[in-house]
This record gives sequence, C-alpha cells and structure tokens, in this order.
Amino acid sequence: MNTSCKECGAELTIPNDAIVGEIVSCKDCSSEYEVAEISSGNVLLKPAEQVGEDWGE
Amino acid sequence: MKLTITFDRLRWEEKALSDAAESAGLDSTLLDVKGLVFEVPKKPQEFGDVVLQRCISHYRSSLLTQALEGAGLKVINSSAVAETCSNKLASSIALARAGVPTPRTLLALTSEAAEEAAERLGYPLVLKPFTGSWGRMVTVVRDRATLQSLIEFKEELANPAEQHMYYLQEFVKRPPRDIRAIVAGDSIVACVHRIAPAGEWRTNVARGAVSKAFKPDRELKEIILKAAEAVGGGILGVDAMEPESGYLVHEVNNTVEFKGAQSAVDTDIPAQLVRYVAQSARR
Repeated sequence: MNTSCKECGAELTIPNDAIVGEIVSCKDCSSEYEVAEISSGNVLLKPAEQVGEDWGE
Repeated sequence: MKLTITFDRLRWEEKALSDAAESAGLDSTLLDVKGLVFEVPKKPQEFGDVVLQRCISHYRSSLLTQALEGAGLKVINSSAVAETCSNKLASSIALARAGVPTPRTLLALTSEAAEEAAERLGYPLVLKPFTGSWGRMVTVVRDRATLQSLIEFKEELANPAEQHMYYLQEFVKRPPRDIRAIVAGDSIVACVHRIAPAGEWRTNVARGAVSKAFKPDRELKEIILKAAEAVGGGILGVDAMEPESGYLVHEVNNTVEFKGAQSAVDTDIPAQLVRYVAQSARR
C-alpha cells in the first residue's frame, strides 16, 4: 500500500501487514504518521502524536 | 479469560505481545485507547477482564489504569506499581526501604537546597527529572558552575512540580554499560548488558545502546527479584549497575521495552510475559 507524505510529498510505503495504530515514518523528512484506518487496500493516515515529556518505559 | 492489551503508540513490543497471546490460544484484543470515553466507574464494553497496560504516556497510562481498576478489572501492572515506578523519588524510597542496594539519592525542594545537596554529594553527580524515561534530561553535573547554570535553565521552565525541584544522585563509576533484567512475577525472563554507544555515557537502548546476553550470578538474581518485589511486582524492567563496590539498582521500569533484549537472547520474551499474564489472571 502506498500513499504520500503530507509534509514533503515523498512516497510512503505502508507494509502489507500494517494494522491500525501502527506508526509509519517518511524516509525523506522523518515525519511520523499513525495508521488510522485500512479498508479494501486503502490506508488513511493521521499525524502521529509527538513525543511527550511523560513518555517512556 | 479475555485479555486486552492497551496501547497509545503501537511499538514492536505491543505487536509481539499480541502475537504471543494469539499463539498461546488466548482470547485477546489489541486496543488503541486514544479514542475511548469512560463513564466512571463502569467497565467500557471494549475491555475484557484482564488488561495488559502498555501505554507509552505515563499520565495516560496512570489515569487509564485507575479507571479500569475502578471498574473492577485486573490490570498488569497495577496503578500502585505504576505510580512507584514512574516517579523516581518513589522508586528510590521503595528500593531503599526494601534493602535493595541503590545509588545515594537526595531530594531538594528549592534551587538553594539543590546547591546544598550537591555539596553533600560531591561532584560529579547526576541530576534526573522525577518522571520520564529513555535517559531524557538525565545529566551528569561535573562542577558547581554547571549546576548553577542548569538550575537557572530549569527555573525558567513552566512545570513547577517537575522542574523546580531536584532529584540528585551520586555518580556511580561503572563500566560503560548497565544491566537490564526483564522480570515477570518471581522469575527473571531475560537479562542483558546494555552497552553505551561511543560518545554517550547513558546506556538506554533509545540512545543507541546495544544489548548483549548476560547471565546474572546468584547475588544479582536475588537483588533483581527483590527490587521487583519492592515496587510491588508484575512485569518489570529492572536496571542495575556493577561498580567495583557491588551491584546497585537504579531504576525499575513499569512498561518495559524489550526489543533490544530480545535481539540478544533466545528466550521468547513476549511468550513468557503473556504466560505470566494468563497465570496471574487465574489467581
């Protein structure tokens, strides 16, 4: 599944086994997206949450 | 038993845990919690009866666990364990009170007291935020002038609870590596050395550290399990150092990441963790 980066326009390749919630990042500009929806081979992305101060293990 | 694995950012670990649950024949769901709404204290219909809490945001995880426990669900790890592990001060207290060797730690409630605490500890020392992970903002302070500059910067930051109070710890002379043990209940599932990359003193995998399998001796095994018990037990990542004076536990992680450790050991870590969850649910 392919789509394009909203930030820089580069092609984004989504792995075939991707699931909703998974993070994909643009190889060109490093923007991160979260897979929001997958339906009949189409994938809908939304901007991933930015790393928060309270993130971690 | 119906298992729900919660996440807010889907990492390799959560997918591996979900796959392991499926392989073990468990009825499990991987659930993104970001869109959920809770009517307290009801149990949201999306959830089973046992929850493996894997949210990456501490505050989100903490509130979610409270809401789920309030609805009568069993959550691994419990909110009490999460609170102890996510606050470095609470962790230090729990470890010290249980007799687990841990670095000398001082709390200072003002910038003036921080300078006094530093004089007592001596330089170099380590300044850490109370919450946070991956070595972020953990700083070696080598002299008083540097500490004063850091204090000035911190005092300008917005969050008074986090930024205007100080957690200071002795700087432990150790090899350029530490020990990460992944614990489930009363057993050590995997143990690795985390070797810091060139030019970096911190040993977090998130900072490029490499994991290498490591067999703990009997003394270290006892210390690791005692540390896990000290914070309340569950699925935990116990971090230890090995200075010449003997082992020291410096941190216990509540939502342990194990991708690095898995790259170094043959044990199927997610399978073992899921087995622990299933056993705990039956109790």
